[in-house]
Amino acid sequence: MAGLFGSDLPAASGLQAVRDPYTGEQVYVVPRLQPDWAVLHAQEADAAGNARIYGSVFWDRVMSRAARGVIVTAERIVPTEELARRPELTVVPSLLVRAVVEAPRGAAPCSCAPDYDIDRAGVEAYLRACGDPAALAAYLAAEDRTLREAVPAVGAEHAGAAGRAVAGGAE
Amino acid sequence: MAVAMARLLRDGEVVFQGVNSVLPMVAINLARRLHAPGLVYLNVSGGVDPAPRFLPESSTDPELARGSASLFNNEDFYDICVRGGIDTAFLGAVQIDAEGRTNNSVIGDHARPRVRLPGGGGAAMIMPTARRVILWRTQHTPRVFVERLDFVTAAGNVDRVVTPLCVLQRRAGRLVVEALFPTTAPEAVVANTGFPLAVPPDCPRLPEPTARELALLDEIDPRGVRRLELRG
Repeated sequence: MAGLFGSDLPAASGLQAVRDPYTGEQVYVVPRLQPDWAVLHAQEADAAGNARIYGSVFWDRVMSRAARGVIVTAERIVPTEELARRPELTVVPSLLVRAVVEAPRGAAPCSCAPDYDIDRAGVEAYLRACGDPAALAAYLAAEDRTLREAVPAVGAEHAGAAGRAVAGGAE
Repeated sequence: MAVAMARLLRDGEVVFQGVNSVLPMVAINLARRLHAPGLVYLNVSGGVDPAPRFLPESSTDPELARGSASLFNNEDFYDICVRGGIDTAFLGAVQIDAEGRTNNSVIGDHARPRVRLPGGGGAAMIMPTARRVILWRTQHTPRVFVERLDFVTAAGNVDRVVTPLCVLQRRAGRLVVEALFPTTAPEAVVANTGFPLAVPPDCPRLPEPTARELALLDEIDPRGVRRLELRG
């Protein structure tokens, strides 16, 4: 990768410079990153895990390719035929996905454009809860109740993804 | 500060604004409405010359991609930056030294830091590869402008540093005072800088913001997000 010269980061991270065999220049090379899981939130996904992302994808595409497995959470589960109408919006194909979760307002209290904006009071409540394990447990329990009310079938398996989702596990 | 940063931008250049960069976001959008209508504005939200209805509190907000003719992803930005396609990038810094190098990594020893900072956010790649870099910092104190960085996160093509007191320019590898804000006392700059920094007796003053600049600031930033970073 280009850059990094003059920075203390390569020494601190153990990065090595090598000679580029084509130009002769010194360049730093970085070892690949391979997380076990990438957890991505999408506006829409189908039951197989194909995930449609509207708007900017930030690092979602890269993370989905880097990880051994992807867990998709989605505002809505839609039919595959719907995704097939605009395949260019399906950033993550199901072959990379090990589990899909229907999670309306799943990005809250952060934003999920264009569906909802950031909830500042919600972020502050979360940060307050993080300071204390009991408060955090209560916060998460309340979030869980909200999700279960929003999705009556939560916990049930969607046909298509369930086998891989449940049986997958970390490699 | 937003006006001073806007005035540093040139018409036609390709300018990038990243995360946690509210003042650069305001400055770039102001420059587009003033002297730099042909500036190409890229941001971390994927926007390419977007038309936000208002400037948001977060410089990563999807509003910054609204009206964009294309979406330019983060990996696309790094690719174009390292091959020399970015004329000006804005970067923040926790510590800045006399050469314009920055620390965003740690206070104390890297292996056992007293304070772990947010990290460079790509600065180590952007700073040497963007054609020029403008740093900004809303505190001008000896803790920010230090003789010796605790850690060098990034070094490279720093051109200017904008603070609430002045604009510094890097000449022959060292920061010098280019101009003072209208109300800045020269001795305040010297006293609040941790490395030796002379203010010449004939040091220029930045012109006051014009009525047009102030009116446009209110128009593009009706929520006043430009003041967020300056709150104590």
